[in-house]
Formats: sequence, C-alpha cells, structure tokens
Amino acid sequence: MEEIRPFEFKQCVNLIKSTGMRARTLRELRERTAVVSSESIFHHTYQYFLKGHALEYTNDFAHWAGESLEERALSEHLSNVDPYAFKNIEDLRMELLNVIDGYLKNFPEPREAMPGDEFYFNETVTLTSPLGIKAKNLAEFLIAIKYVDAAAIYYHFYEARVRLGVDDFSKWLEDSLDKKEVAERIRGIDPFMHSIEEIRKHIYESIEEEVRTEMEAVGL
Amino acid sequence: MISQYSGISPKGDLILLERLGEKLKGKSFLHINSTRAGGGVAEILQRMIPILVELGIDARWEVIEGDERFFDLTKKIHNAVQGNSEKITEDMWRHHYEINKKNAERINLDADAVLIHDPQPSPLIEFRKTGRWIWRCHIDVSHPVKEVCDYLLRYCQRYEAAVFSVAKFARAMGVDEFIIPPSIDPVSEKNRAMSPDEINKTLDRFQIPADRPMLLQVSRFDRFKDPIGVIKAHRMVKKYNDCILVLAGSPATDDPEGEAVLKEVREFAADDPDIHILLLPPFSDRDINALQRAATIVIQKSLKEGFGLTVSEAMWKGKPVIGGAAGGIPLQIIHGVTGFLVHSVEGLAFRIRQFLNNPEMVQRMGENGREHVRNNFLITRQIRDYLSVWYYLENKGALIEL
Repeated sequence: MEEIRPFEFKQCVNLIKSTGMRARTLRELRERTAVVSSESIFHHTYQYFLKGHALEYTNDFAHWAGESLEERALSEHLSNVDPYAFKNIEDLRMELLNVIDGYLKNFPEPREAMPGDEFYFNETVTLTSPLGIKAKNLAEFLIAIKYVDAAAIYYHFYEARVRLGVDDFSKWLEDSLDKKEVAERIRGIDPFMHSIEEIRKHIYESIEEEVRTEMEAVGL
Repeated sequence: MISQYSGISPKGDLILLERLGEKLKGKSFLHINSTRAGGGVAEILQRMIPILVELGIDARWEVIEGDERFFDLTKKIHNAVQGNSEKITEDMWRHHYEINKKNAERINLDADAVLIHDPQPSPLIEFRKTGRWIWRCHIDVSHPVKEVCDYLLRYCQRYEAAVFSVAKFARAMGVDEFIIPPSIDPVSEKNRAMSPDEINKTLDRFQIPADRPMLLQVSRFDRFKDPIGVIKAHRMVKKYNDCILVLAGSPATDDPEGEAVLKEVREFAADDPDIHILLLPPFSDRDINALQRAATIVIQKSLKEGFGLTVSEAMWKGKPVIGGAAGGIPLQIIHGVTGFLVHSVEGLAFRIRQFLNNPEMVQRMGENGREHVRNNFLITRQIRDYLSVWYYLENKGALIEL
C-alpha cells in the first residue's frame, strides 16, 4: 500500500520593502502602476489578505481609491478585479490599468490625495518556515487546523494559490486522501469574503463533518 | 525571558524567532543609539537585548557619547528631518562627524550585523569594519528640511539597508528599505496585567472618581496632540452623556513649549471638576498602565505624530481608541474595527457619544484592538522582523526558506 504523504504545516512572514515610489493622484497611480515591479503589484493585490480583516475592499488599489481619493465607483470597479483570475502578474497589471483608464475616460478628474495619504508602492520579501506539525490523516489535520497560527492558514490558503493555482489544503485532501467532496467544499470558500479566522472556521467545520461521517460509517 | 511571551505573542512569531535564532546562533548583533535611558528606542532596546541573547545571538548595545554641543546640534538635526526650519552649518556637521569618529575609536564596531538607530550615530558607517550595517530611522522624515536630509543621506546611503516605521517615512535612497513598525512589550511595567486593587489605588491617589465613564488621553502637553481640542470635544459630549476626562502627560525636558501648553490647557479647563489634568513624573509606567486600564475610551487626537504607540498600549488593554489620522495612528486604528479615526473636534465628540451609548461596541472594538496589537505590534514581532532583515541580507531573494 502506498504511504500517505503527510500534510506539513508551514507559515510565512512577509517583510515589507518600500519601492520609494508614491502616487498622489489617480494619473500618478496609473503611471506608476504601469512600471512598478511585479512584486509590488503582487503585494498590493494578493497579499491584501495579510491585513487579517475582512475589509470593505479586496486590494490596496481599491482601498486607496475609496478611502483616500473618495472615488466610490472606482473603488468598486477595482475591488471587482480578481487576481486569481489571471495567469500572471502582467495580465493582472493590465487589468488594473484598464479599469483606471476607463474611469479617467468616463468620470471627472478625481482630487489629489491629502498630504501623507498618498499611495505608497511596497513589495515584500517572504520567509517561510515549517511549524514542525504534520498531519497524516483527517483527524490529525482537524486538530492541527484548529490550533495552528493564523500565519499558517494564510500561507496554505492564500499564498498557495500563487504557487499552485489552488489552496494547499484542498489539494492535499484530494491528492493524498482522495477526499474530493471535502476538497470541493474548501475550494468553495470565497477567499475575498472572509477573515483568516473565518476561513479557519469554515475549513474546520468541513473537515469535522467529514470525520463524523467517516466515524458513523464504521459504526462509531 | 522568551517563555514569558508564550501564550501572549502569536505562536508563529515565537517559532520563527527560535528558527531565526538557530540560523543566526553565535553571530554578533550590535545596536548603537544615543541614549541609555529615556525615549522609546532605549525602552525597547532594554527589553530586546536580553531576548536576543537568549536566542543564542551575541547581542550588544552601545551608546555614543558626546559633548553638549553635539547633542544640541543633533537635536537641531532631529528637528530639521522632522520638518522644522533649522540651519546646520558646515562646522556643525564637522563636529557631528568628529564626535562619531571618537566614538568609533572607543566602541568595538566588529559585529556580524550592526543596527544604527537614528541620525545621531549615522556617521559611524564611515568606520565600518565587517558585517551587515543597517540604519534604523525611528522618526518622521516624510517632510524634512532638504539640505539637512541630503547631507544625512550621504551617510545613510552607504548602509546596506534602511528601516522605517511607516511606509510614508521611507525615501528613495537607493538601498533596500524595509518597513518595520515599532512595538510594545506586553510584559513590561507599562503593559502587564494589573489587579483591580492596583488600578483603584492609582485612581484614589489622583482623586479620580470611578463612578462614571472615563475618557483618557496620555501624551506630552504639546499643541500637536491637540489637548484643547480634546477638552472641547468633552464639553460637547457632556451635553448628552456624563463622563470625566483625564489628560495625563509627562513634562518633556526637550520641549520648551511644554510648560506654556500645559498652562493654556489648565486655563482652558478652568475649574471644571470633571477634567483631571495630571502632570506625571518621568517613568510613571505603572500609573499610565492603571489609567489606561481604568479608562472607558482612550483618545489620541494627534494632529502630527511619529508612530503614536500609546494607541497600541491602550488597545492592548482592550480599549477602543479614537485617534487623529496622523503618523502611524492609521496603521493601528482600523476605522470601525478597532476604533475610529477622526479629523475634527466634532468628529471626536460624535465618536465618543457613539461609544458611550453602545457598551457592546466598546467591548467588541476593544477585543479587536487587542488582537490587532497581538498580531502586529508586540516586541516579539519586531525582533522577528529585525532578524529577518539580517537573514535576508545574508541570503538575498524574494522567497527565503528558513
């Protein structure tokens, strides 16, 4: 019998680096977004969830448009950009530019952001580290998911999508344990609509239900 | 020492600290600043060095020495980088350099990593021997006097990396620039848990009644902290809700205006029995802790601010905070989640009333604030970040496996 590959919990820490670039107006935002590093686009979109709160927006561009420029329609358009829908960062960058261009064409010129409230382009350095926790079956996974640090949930649920296109949890459940249904349930969790703790809760509940079903099946 | 943080700091941070400690074990880490006591930098270094040592790192903390002229001119530099008009002559810059040169002869600068705090010791880079040199800027340099900043940059650009507290303080320096916010120590005298008895003793000593909700602002008596605005807001609120206001601050010896502002505040408060103005001696950590714990709502209505760690201190005690959107305050207050950001006296009064009429909101935002601080503004996170920057400089790359 083939041995099951255990799930190894890891976490990551992201060190924020400044690019030294900033934008005070929407036109400046457009200009800098066109040339800033792909790491910076990545940080302001995918890593928005590091903030750990289910906020009103889904990326830093939308957040700035809404809070600093007070351009609600623009922030709604930008919030609707799904970074996971693009094959690479350059396609995502193009979509952000398209949204800004469309807005500049159809709406009056937005005001400047207040001094100190400019958009600061940052990027990150990511350090990953194993937590020393491995799960070989659903029951072990259930306990681990309850207690691992939020940084581990972030790493496996969000950061994994950039590496693999899907989250690590559902991939392991499907590939190693052949649990397609529960994997689908986890994939069905909308990454934009929950805080990390809510994501943990949803995953825990899905796994718990699966464990209960398994136990009932063997008459426990 | 580290075990004290178990159950307080996020587990992940403690695991990463141990991991980074294993990677950097036996290496030397030198910190240099300009004062052994007083100020946030010295406060955090006192706590940080023993933790680094416990992680297996040979950590040292050295303080530069200088004459009165040196500290006068570094105060001018400090003011100029924060935007105040100051003239630094060529002769003054030469003295700045000469004093650093003398310190370089006195201090053993041999280390695997050297973290130089703030502009005062920045010329020490000229005497670098080995190791990774990092410049740590704790102050707001977003609107500096250009000539002064340009001169300092001659030194700072020679470091391998720079660290700023807030993204808007960073500059295009041409070196790696990291954003690392400062932190509070949850087990220090200012932030440790306290018994109700201890809290009541402080209230009794200051004759502060505990029978009504208490609004608190802890800050120097400085116009940028807008104490008059806070009193105006309290007066607006009192038309609807009974509450007392406590303004607590220490005299700042380096701030000649402090006394004048305190006088203005006292005159403005007049003989209102519901306003308590406390002039606390330096190192009143226990009293500040007790006042923050006794408060219903904490205010930090700064018009200009460096980072404003009093916000994190209050949030750590489970208090919702209403603050001005200045400096590092918006990083700490997530509007509508851990408190409210306000832009006017009227806004402050409105948010106070909102809290006083919604005890459930006070509790919910207070709890959110404590978790926000736990995840972002504790000393263990700051040490983790410093070690991560050092490790990054040793193993450059966008993704590093520990």
